[in-house]
Amino acid sequence: MNIRCATLVLAALAALPQTAALAQGFKPSRTVELVVHTGPGGGSDVLARALAVMAEREKLLPVRMIVVNKPGGNSAVAAAYLSEKRGDPNTIGLFTGVWLQTPLVSPEAKVTLRDLTPVARLVLEPAVIAVKADAPYRTLAEFIDAAKKNPGKLKQSGGSNTSRDNVVRQLLQKSTGAQWAFISFPGGGERIAALIGGHVDIMVIEPEEAGEHIRAGNMRVLAQVSERRLPGFPNAPTLKEAGFDVPVVPQVRGMVAPPGIPAANVAYWEDFCRRLTRTASWQKYIADNQFEDGYQNAADLAKFYDEFTGRMRDILKDAGVKIVR
Amino acid sequence: MDILSGLLNGFAVALAPANLLWCFVGVFLGTVVGVLPGLGPPATIAMLLPLTFSMNPAGAIIMLAGIYYGAKYGGSTTSILMNVPGESASVVTCIDGYQMARKGRAGAALGIAAIASFVAGTVGVLGLMLVAPPLAKFALSFSSPEYFALMSLGLALVVLLAGRSIVKALLAALFGLWIASIGTDLFSTNSRFTFGRMELLSGIDFIVVAIGVFALGEVLGNMEAREETQLLEVPKGLRNLLPTWQDLKDCRFAFANGSVIGFLVGTLPGGGSTIASFLSYGLEKAVSRRRDQFGTGVIEGVAAPEGANNSETGGALVPLLTLGIPGSGTTAILLAALVLWGFKPGPLFIPEHPDLFWGLVASMYIGNVMLLVLNLPLVPLFAQVLRMPVYLLYPLILGVSLVGVYSASGSLFDLGLLMVFGLLGYLMRKLDYPAAPLILGLALGSGMERALRQSLMMSQGELSILVSRPISAVMLSLAVVILLIPLFGKLNAWRLRALES
Amino acid sequence: MEDGTRKSGDLWSGIALAALGVYIIVQAWQWEYSSPEGPGPGFFPLWYGIGMLALAALLVVSHLRGAAVYGKPADWKRIARALSAWLALAVSVALFKILGFVASFALLTYFIVAVMYRRPVRTAAISAFATAAGFYLVFELALGMSLPSGMLGF
Repeated sequence: MNIRCATLVLAALAALPQTAALAQGFKPSRTVELVVHTGPGGGSDVLARALAVMAEREKLLPVRMIVVNKPGGNSAVAAAYLSEKRGDPNTIGLFTGVWLQTPLVSPEAKVTLRDLTPVARLVLEPAVIAVKADAPYRTLAEFIDAAKKNPGKLKQSGGSNTSRDNVVRQLLQKSTGAQWAFISFPGGGERIAALIGGHVDIMVIEPEEAGEHIRAGNMRVLAQVSERRLPGFPNAPTLKEAGFDVPVVPQVRGMVAPPGIPAANVAYWEDFCRRLTRTASWQKYIADNQFEDGYQNAADLAKFYDEFTGRMRDILKDAGVKIVR
Repeated sequence: MDILSGLLNGFAVALAPANLLWCFVGVFLGTVVGVLPGLGPPATIAMLLPLTFSMNPAGAIIMLAGIYYGAKYGGSTTSILMNVPGESASVVTCIDGYQMARKGRAGAALGIAAIASFVAGTVGVLGLMLVAPPLAKFALSFSSPEYFALMSLGLALVVLLAGRSIVKALLAALFGLWIASIGTDLFSTNSRFTFGRMELLSGIDFIVVAIGVFALGEVLGNMEAREETQLLEVPKGLRNLLPTWQDLKDCRFAFANGSVIGFLVGTLPGGGSTIASFLSYGLEKAVSRRRDQFGTGVIEGVAAPEGANNSETGGALVPLLTLGIPGSGTTAILLAALVLWGFKPGPLFIPEHPDLFWGLVASMYIGNVMLLVLNLPLVPLFAQVLRMPVYLLYPLILGVSLVGVYSASGSLFDLGLLMVFGLLGYLMRKLDYPAAPLILGLALGSGMERALRQSLMMSQGELSILVSRPISAVMLSLAVVILLIPLFGKLNAWRLRALES
Repeated sequence: MEDGTRKSGDLWSGIALAALGVYIIVQAWQWEYSSPEGPGPGFFPLWYGIGMLALAALLVVSHLRGAAVYGKPADWKRIARALSAWLALAVSVALFKILGFVASFALLTYFIVAVMYRRPVRTAAISAFATAAGFYLVFELALGMSLPSGMLGF
């Protein structure tokens, strides 16, 4: 029922003209709720609050926007909350990669992004692969060789086994035949401490987090996980440039709406996102955090979702994770 | 930069009238936030972040830090007066603090909490100022085996918290371990014990269990008696409104204990104020002459954990400001705040922004003084809450518990869980199962399991990694010794009986 | 084993905990105990499940052994009071969705004051109104923290 609904929406969208004159016909009538799946202070929460401030400063909305925290269930609670708000055009959600993955592996998480109404993709978060500054590896290839010589002995710190950190590892392991251990730490701080303290050998880390450690000379970047070289790391090769033919599986954030939203509303929010990504404050925010602008409209986002989850299922299956959906 | 000149510069910054005002606003807000169960510093800081963009960065960080350590002062208030933990770190304060209130010494308890918080908070800032860089390096050498050993040491303390029946205490601790493992397993994304409910996917919130078992269990237990007109004796006379000189003398070791343990545990990125307060309480009980009275209202049992959770804030700022590594939830938000303002905490933070660092340090000294001045006079006022007739006080406690839990997650499901744990708390009281070991097991359970699995992954299955590293070997041996103490006691008793017969 | 109070509660709680221990062991068996990457999700639960079962069995056995010694017999009247208070609390929470926090809490307070503590109706009514209003003023209005609201709108 929900896939049909989304398809109808997409068909309706395809029939509409592309101009920004879509704003007519729908405007939010009361305070807009922006739903996030983390508690106050979590990654999504911080972005959502910044977004709300930007929306007000750049006068993108005729009404106020507030952030509503629905933590729990690794995004399942937030997704379920949006699902309950069927047909309500004044509620939207900020999704991240976790929203796409949790339904794949947790039977309790019943609401997928396709059950809701995808609106737009906003950012892609690239990453870099880093080692301790005094490690003997100058390039990623050296690390891979060392891993091949000592299978299972080298260690990587990262998040859960479905996180992007492990996905990168699985892809590299599959393509090179090397093997190294993956140790999960729940917080970024602990992962970094494990690397700098010499307890693990390598990690995948967001460029923003790595910046200061590199500057202080504690960390070194071997390669970057992105399509193009990031402005902050002109000397580190991308995975492709380094000779590793693995897809760049991005970490995404975007906007999603409850199910059963008429086409005009979706178009309005899509337009809001497009205008947001063009504002100066947004561009500055992206640059400061070293994100990549990954804007995609609703139709492309739906396609991206199918492709992403399909690929994720294969990768996770290889990693030995049970896929339930 | 030389420490003394740095500090003097820092005071110049912190004593600027605007910054002084922000310091006061921060510590005041922090106290209020700490008193209210459920709402915590992370949420408050996150909500105030947008407002700070228009402020000068020094004032902003001074204010936000004030909220952070101010909340630790306020957290003891509801713990002592109502057995409702203001935040997770205040759970241990409930154990002896509430019992003191029942005996009419609520004022002394509140007062010693404020004084211990001041002493330990100041020591924490001293530590931050003097030993931050070398200590940070030391903290980095702590990894999963050491964390496992630390948590085992903490869990072994269950023996000291046991009361009459070791078996029941151990069962309670194991029950706590079970609750801790409800949710998604970090390493394999398997869901454990979720009974098909998505709300349980991320586990059960610690504060829900703590408030349910402690506060609701207590209220339900007290509602058995119809004829009590007043629950708690109102502290009479100045002696009971504030701690006496004798009290302060009794707490000498507790002050030191809380300050040191809190600070050291705080510097560990995987540490936290809950384990700091448990360890400090356990140590205090182990060395006290009155150790058998712990749990019935002993003042050192309040001073030690309260001190520990305050100096922990100083400790947690060490990895944040010297390495850019956030240890706890609140420091993670402070990190986000610093990044938003354009500063990037890392090893180069202090050399590049000495004014900000020393201004912050100086403001923390000032803030601790402000908090002492704010809180001590309020003690007699708060103690008067106990004058309330019982039939009003209990609904008040119930209401505060409900609002506290709801404000933390906004989830009616959590309120349902609160009901379940409230009933559990009551049953445990009736059946003589001690509550503290359950809370201890819950607080340490997931950390301990994670550390063990991480260690075994690091060593590829070799258990020897836990004893081949010196620090973890020492702590594990200590844990074993503590666990064996009751066994020695029993052997001794048998021996004596055999000799007698 | 020296136990301070040995009531029949020990027997029942021991049995219940033993059953929980068995449940945990059965569940843990279904998960991976150990993998080449390290201990699996079944590792820890299996061990504390076994511990729980063993300790609970110990409790039950030691109770049956010294079955002649009882603590105070259970005062069912008092227990009934406490349980009815709990029931009232649970019902009032269940009503949050329909009536909202303020109204349900007022009802709960009224129940506690009038029924549990047998105060006159007027005292109960005033207390109920005052505490509910107090919570609303302090939390919803002054602090801006949203309390559960039901169909009455608040």
